[in-house]
Amino acid sequence: MEKKDIIQSFKDSFFTGLIALALFGPIVGLRTASKGEGLFITPQWGVVFVLVGLCILGRFLINLNSARKTEITFFSKFTSKFSALTEDKAKHFAITAILFAVVFPFLPFTDRYFMDVAIMILTYIMLGWGLNIVVGLAGLLDLGYVAFYAVGAYSYALIATTFGWSFWICLPLAGLFAAFFGILLGFPVLRLRGDYLAIVTLGFGEIIRIILINWYEVTNGPDGITGIPRPSFFGLPFKRSPDEGETSFHLFFNLEYSTMHRIIFLYYLILVLALITNYFTLKIRKLPVGRAWEALREDEIACKSLGVNPTNTKLTAFAIGAMFGGFAGSFFATRQAFISPESFTFIESAIIVAIVVLGGMGSQTGVVLASIFLIGITEMFRDLEQYRMIAFGGAMVLIMVFKPKGILANRKPTILMHGDKK
Amino acid sequence: MSNLLSVENLTMKFGGLTAIDDLSFDAKNNQITSIIGPNGAGKTTVFNCLTGFYKPTNGQMFLHKEDSKISLRKYTDFKIAYVAKVARTFQNIRLFPAMSVLENLLVAQHNELMVASGYSLFGLLNLKSYRDKEQLAVDKAKYWLDIIGLTHRADDNAGDLPYGDQRKLEIVRAMCIEPRLLCLDEPAAGLNPKESAELNKLLKFIKTEKQTGILLIEHDMSVVMGISDHVVVLNYGKKIFEGTADQTKNSKEVIEAYLGVDE
Repeated sequence: MEKKDIIQSFKDSFFTGLIALALFGPIVGLRTASKGEGLFITPQWGVVFVLVGLCILGRFLINLNSARKTEITFFSKFTSKFSALTEDKAKHFAITAILFAVVFPFLPFTDRYFMDVAIMILTYIMLGWGLNIVVGLAGLLDLGYVAFYAVGAYSYALIATTFGWSFWICLPLAGLFAAFFGILLGFPVLRLRGDYLAIVTLGFGEIIRIILINWYEVTNGPDGITGIPRPSFFGLPFKRSPDEGETSFHLFFNLEYSTMHRIIFLYYLILVLALITNYFTLKIRKLPVGRAWEALREDEIACKSLGVNPTNTKLTAFAIGAMFGGFAGSFFATRQAFISPESFTFIESAIIVAIVVLGGMGSQTGVVLASIFLIGITEMFRDLEQYRMIAFGGAMVLIMVFKPKGILANRKPTILMHGDKK
Repeated sequence: MSNLLSVENLTMKFGGLTAIDDLSFDAKNNQITSIIGPNGAGKTTVFNCLTGFYKPTNGQMFLHKEDSKISLRKYTDFKIAYVAKVARTFQNIRLFPAMSVLENLLVAQHNELMVASGYSLFGLLNLKSYRDKEQLAVDKAKYWLDIIGLTHRADDNAGDLPYGDQRKLEIVRAMCIEPRLLCLDEPAAGLNPKESAELNKLLKFIKTEKQTGILLIEHDMSVVMGISDHVVVLNYGKKIFEGTADQTKNSKEVIEAYLGVDE
């Protein structure tokens, strides 16, 4: 590294420090505390200096790092090794991961908390895989994906509480409703791309949430829907004391009653749903419609010149992506037994998009890794409460600095002429 | 030789600017018809009208089929390629860069494959009828890749190919939709003399072996004069000359349009 570079990075770090000071000074430095009558300002400059110092140091290290362009840093070395590994042995990796997921509930250290986190991660994996069809394959940046999640959840909740139909009838119906909403959103945004599309879909997500809050007669407004039927194991409910004429799960299998039964069942349910989503995506990617999605992402005008109908192609992408969001929504409703518009805010959409983008657009394995990373990290820092979001943001910054294209960003052709060379 | 395309009184106005002014010409089956002219003469606008990207202000364009004729004005957007079978390439190459060469050629056969895959249903069930059709599509792609000598790179990303190969790939991709009329927008731009010669060979092959008429916009006169059967010269949106390559070379109007008039 040359002397000029060092001076440059000192300068740069100094300005970073100034910006950090301007930000942290008033926000962190001046703390209001109520003493006796009225509010008083307690300055805490020590904390500010530590934070500013950290920013300067961090910026300086990044500068040092980018000056040595040819050398690979530890982190990117690790991840590139990792992507090489998953590319070569993608099958082995997938099988090991699925096997681990299958035996996970019976591992000795697995307790109720781990199961809850695992179910949550799997829900996000499923949502990520669903959104991957829209964002990763078709290249349509959808910031309102949570709308379809909400439509799925509310369709399930309303059908199940009104008609009392079973989970397995309501699930496809909820998926269909969500797909219908996907097409409904698709029509007005057909001509939009990139930023404009992102803004409109974001608005759509908010519209659905606001309708859910205000359409009191149907959705029960902000109070939400309670008493959503829990899923049953092929007709056997998970209850300690079943109603007359019913046999519950633990009685049928002669087991001691435990709340874990239902949790384990939910875990396998979302695992199967997620794997179906994955299998479907991997399959459809290799079909003409999947190739047309990717071609549309690459160049819409060229698609038209080859006779590919962009309208139908986009609408199928929206509909299928939305359908899986709807399935995940039904699962969410049956798991919680209570839903309200609170659960479907913009931050959910943002997390799902973050999972897809950080995982590497279009990469199925990337979505899994990003979900574990993002959801896992925020869960690990649960004890620190308000610092959780810092950990979340920090994780995103780290990935973007070292892997700007996402954790796994290699695309394999959908069809090979010469077979696999490796 | 029968007529393939007839353009009648085509006019295209953008606000006050007349890009094409009352243009009429014919293109014949199994012939290469070139459209030449100085920059801004309206050549690409003619293409955009023919291929449905613009809706002409006035005039008609007919594509002749055995004894019937269809009006291209009726078709817009993707239907030009899908129904009327008019294919085109672009002045600035428009491949699908992150997709493999083979995938590029399969997207061009999208509509047949969609039907064969039962709009994805048969494909998801992995039926043999679909797998056979897909194999046929791959064979067709291989046929064209053999012709341009890119079979060994079929699994590489299209964006990783050298510039000259990308040009050729774009042409054979357009040929994969089995067009009746192929519109090429400056296919020789940026090619070296050797690549230009290869391009001439490819276009002659398409002209003689396939039932396809070619409409060509080109600045490279070695290409235009070497392979054109018929030349249409435009200047400021008007046709100023029409004839064979030799006639064009010696035409006073054409020389004036390109080099200016002695005062």
